[in-house]
Amino acid sequence: MAGRPIIEIENLSHTYMKGTPMEHVALKGANLFVEEGECVAIIGHTGSGKSTLIQHFNGLMRPESGKVLIDGEDLSNKKVNLKTLRQKVGLVFQNPEDQIFEKIIGDDIAYGPFKLGLPLKEVRERVKWAMSVVGLDFEGMIDRQTFALSGGQKRKVALAGILALKPKILVLDEPTAGLDPRSRNELLDNIKRLNKEEKLTVIFVSHNMEEVALLADRVYVMADGTDVLNGTPKEIFTDKEKLQRYHIGTPESVQVLYRLTDLGYEVKTDAFSITEAANEIIKVLACKKECSKHVQRI
Amino acid sequence: MSSEFEISKRITIGQYVPTGSFIHRLDPRVKVFAFTILVLAIALNTSYIGNTIGLVLSLYLFWVSKIPIRYGLSGIIPAIPFIVILAVLQLLFQGQLFSHGKVYVDYGFILITSESIRLVVVSAVRFVEIIFLSSVLTLATSTTELTHSIQSLLSPLKKIKFPVHEISLITTIAIRFVPTFAIEMEKMMKAQASRGADFGTGGWWRIIQRTKETFPIIIPLFNIALSRAEDLILAMESRCYTPGGERSSYTTYQIAAKDYLALVTGLLFAILLFAYPFPI
Repeated sequence: MAGRPIIEIENLSHTYMKGTPMEHVALKGANLFVEEGECVAIIGHTGSGKSTLIQHFNGLMRPESGKVLIDGEDLSNKKVNLKTLRQKVGLVFQNPEDQIFEKIIGDDIAYGPFKLGLPLKEVRERVKWAMSVVGLDFEGMIDRQTFALSGGQKRKVALAGILALKPKILVLDEPTAGLDPRSRNELLDNIKRLNKEEKLTVIFVSHNMEEVALLADRVYVMADGTDVLNGTPKEIFTDKEKLQRYHIGTPESVQVLYRLTDLGYEVKTDAFSITEAANEIIKVLACKKECSKHVQRI
Repeated sequence: MSSEFEISKRITIGQYVPTGSFIHRLDPRVKVFAFTILVLAIALNTSYIGNTIGLVLSLYLFWVSKIPIRYGLSGIIPAIPFIVILAVLQLLFQGQLFSHGKVYVDYGFILITSESIRLVVVSAVRFVEIIFLSSVLTLATSTTELTHSIQSLLSPLKKIKFPVHEISLITTIAIRFVPTFAIEMEKMMKAQASRGADFGTGGWWRIIQRTKETFPIIIPLFNIALSRAEDLILAMESRCYTPGGERSSYTTYQIAAKDYLALVTGLLFAILLFAYPFPI
């Protein structure tokens, strides 16, 4: 997927509440490179600077020092058109359902497109498209009241509100936090489809390693305001020493495989997708007799 | 300017800055009492010298409490427009009430005298002094301490059935949530800006447009406030909070020598500002 770089961040630093006693360094010398069409996950502990970093993508924060290039545009330039930038980079905040303010679903999704000054017909098309992408029935849902929706549906509406801007880059801050398993899986499928079929560049922050393993082409690990590690999920989750050094959890499938190797079974630990892991376990079960002899020898 | 959305930076009320200074360690009841009488004395003083003393004292208190003076100064920035408007109005329209003293301008209904100029200067300086004093008090006292002290200072009013406990609880909750809602508002502004909202565009005279621009923030904020209130009720009730119930306190305060010292100093300054006949 060697595409053209769409986000280039170099040596970015940011300090909150500068010049007050509550001064707090959130980013120091962070780097991040994303190519067009990639799906990149950002992981790291609370306070490692993930949220601050992603707010630089659409100009909510300007680089204090360092370089931020979005689609070739340098954000330290004061003349950057923020509206076009924010249309290009759709940023979905944590708990985006809080930002719904219109009474009717359709109106809320249409808010962004209207703000772009699009004609009514185009707005309607976009609302229809955005609703279909997130799996909301256009005819049946467009006139529904927003307050009566379930948590999962509200999040779909909020996501559709961003997608209706037709962004090139979709940025999500903990998209599945607080969702029930079914809504979670639906949302993940949607994100995957947007990335693979609609060719959106997707960047998401997550604490859930299963999600990361499932979706991401590449993973950035943040710690203390800087990027400490990056690579494919395979590279990250098989590097036991670094996982421990930065206190990164692993998907449960990887944990099971590591436990099996610890017990002396010969399994591949880089098989972290659920099906691959299941195959490894089946292999173990199939040769259980021999392997258990092997274990006893140890 | 690092971000147009950093609202919480501009709000200094309810921000406790723990530096552990002498003022921080005072008994909060003494602190609140001493600051109250000082504010009263300043409010009643009309002399130039008296208010200069008050200004120096309030700046000195920043130094004693080890809070950066620059941070304290940033607290008056939002008040500057009010101070200026007040000063202009007083200068133009209050002259008739202060017609004694030397007359400088007498043009139609506008009368500017040495006394009305004194009023303008003194009330502006007074405003600044009071902001400084209340900043030192709130920056050097945690909200829990503030509530405890307000409650105990108002407790004599219980005799006339004044709801002291309720009032102090309401005040604490209100102060406690100022920074929280500032953060929520910041987040909401960013979220809506991300989908194309803009704020404060168009001139101030386009009131309807500017009001409409705030809906995407105000409506979600109300929602958040209501759901937070519900959470708070649950949290309080699950810890057996009963309205009107007698509560004991985890911290009990003991007035020590340093508190008497602060109290006496505060009283002396208050008496000086209130009663001493300053020449100008």
